[in-house]
Amino acid sequence: MIQLQALRKLFGQRVAVDSLDLVVPQGVVFGLLGHNGAGKSTTIGMLLGQVWPTSGQLLVRGFDVIANRKDALAKVGAIFEAPVFYDYLSGWRNLEILASYSALTPTKRLSEVVAWVGLSGREHSLVRTYSHGMRARLALAQSLLPAPDLLILDEPTNGLDPEGIHEMRETIRRLHAEFGLTILLSSHLLSEVEQLCTRIAVLHQGTKVFDGSLAEATRGSNRVRLVTENFPEAVVRLQNAALVTGSDGTEFMTLATGSTTAIVAKQLVEWGFPVHAISREESTLEQFYLSLVKKSSSIR
Amino acid sequence: MFFLQLKHELWKLFGKKRTYIGFGAFLLVQLAVILMFRYTKAAGAIRRALEGGGYSAVDFLTAGTIATQIVIPVAYLLLPLYVTLVGGDLVAKETEDGTMRMILARPISRLRLLTLKWSAGTLFSFTLSLILGGFGWLLASFWFPQGGLFAIQIDGGGPGGGFAVFGPAEGAWRYATAHALLATKAVTLLSLAFLFSCFNMKPAAATILALSVMFVNVILMNIPWFADYKSWFLTHHLNLWQWMFLQTTPVTRMAESLCLLFGFNVTFFAIGAATFQVRDIKS
Repeated sequence: MIQLQALRKLFGQRVAVDSLDLVVPQGVVFGLLGHNGAGKSTTIGMLLGQVWPTSGQLLVRGFDVIANRKDALAKVGAIFEAPVFYDYLSGWRNLEILASYSALTPTKRLSEVVAWVGLSGREHSLVRTYSHGMRARLALAQSLLPAPDLLILDEPTNGLDPEGIHEMRETIRRLHAEFGLTILLSSHLLSEVEQLCTRIAVLHQGTKVFDGSLAEATRGSNRVRLVTENFPEAVVRLQNAALVTGSDGTEFMTLATGSTTAIVAKQLVEWGFPVHAISREESTLEQFYLSLVKKSSSIR
Repeated sequence: MFFLQLKHELWKLFGKKRTYIGFGAFLLVQLAVILMFRYTKAAGAIRRALEGGGYSAVDFLTAGTIATQIVIPVAYLLLPLYVTLVGGDLVAKETEDGTMRMILARPISRLRLLTLKWSAGTLFSFTLSLILGGFGWLLASFWFPQGGLFAIQIDGGGPGGGFAVFGPAEGAWRYATAHALLATKAVTLLSLAFLFSCFNMKPAAATILALSVMFVNVILMNIPWFADYKSWFLTHHLNLWQWMFLQTTPVTRMAESLCLLFGFNVTFFAIGAATFQVRDIKS
């Protein structure tokens, strides 16, 4: 759905995005992670033809965004952080205006979308009377008007209260489940990405430092939690067998290269140790992200 | 589709309260001027000028004459202010507010968007100029009779000395045409503000820059030693509307100025569009 090749953007001398290769397959919820200033919004700006890349290629829905922006964005919806509207006009009028920049949109379609986002009854009120949550729904409504294949969400929960954040999260899930939309979600909120995305890319100082599935990211280290009787002796025997390299003395040990939990469990059972529990420690996305950023900063 | 989008641009433009500041100010000024002429001795000077030239004040101290007196200061000062205010807003305000990002997330080209915005601004300029003329005449009609038109000649002079007089039909026709031509001044100044609005700057800065360019032109044009070079200045051509109040209309000179104003408008739009096209639009 999205293909970026060797994408680079300079603002003066400052490198905002550097050599970015990225593929967002159809039908996934893809998280673009990074701290403020990492290059997420610039990347999204380039995807939408709002920011001109210095070099590289951008394909959206198979069309080059620079050469054929009209086709590339024909079925794309986007929401930006703190959505802004014409406050002095009604929500309905805002939708009419924004829809007309894409294509002729029948009134029926507008009504459907308004109903889907739960704004029915308030669509003819002035936007200035809307709460944050209602503005977020209106933003969602305008993004759905062109019946998109791809939805680009740039920090969509910024400025929302916990209830609004929950509502937005559930809506994103519904959109993915009901319409099978491909969703690119940019955020610096790790928990949000962790709950919604199946694949992620992490940007740091304009460079991609990770690209893979969420499972890969949270698979964690070689630390294994073992619950058995006489843990210290079990560790000594496993160390002697070169299956583990160390432990914390209570219940965690570190697997040696090539060793797996299955091999360790089998060996312990053969030695007569009862194995009540053995599992690889899963790191949280936060731990993974922080270690990645730290490693990347130290290299630079 | 273009007209639907244009209709929406007009919704945006005329939905804002600040768009109406100009209309409101014009009405207030017109009312103040008309009441001054009606209830002070100010009309006496017009009467003396008319009678000194052998004309009857009864025939020419009319709604048309008073409305013409109003349009001159308004066209010099207030009209430029309000059209540059709107022109400076057209692109810069949307960029500043963040709605430009919402628009440019859609498959509309920047050139088409700017064409829509400029067209909406042009319609606003015409409306403002025509309403200025229409309301001026209408309000003056409440206190002064219909009849001929007497106009002091500001620029150029010509046959008839310091003023010109026209019969009722010709006076009305000249008054209407002058306001249609005044719209070309409004459109050109709006285009100038629009040009600056396409750069990365605040709406107020675009308005101030456009007004500055206009005032610099006015200053240079009015230095007596530069009289031979008047036609070099934009403001000289912007004033073509008032040549409708000369006893003999300088048609060739007006056609030349109209062509130049057309060229100025195309140039302002082209520079603005080229600048906006290469800009990065970020929050």
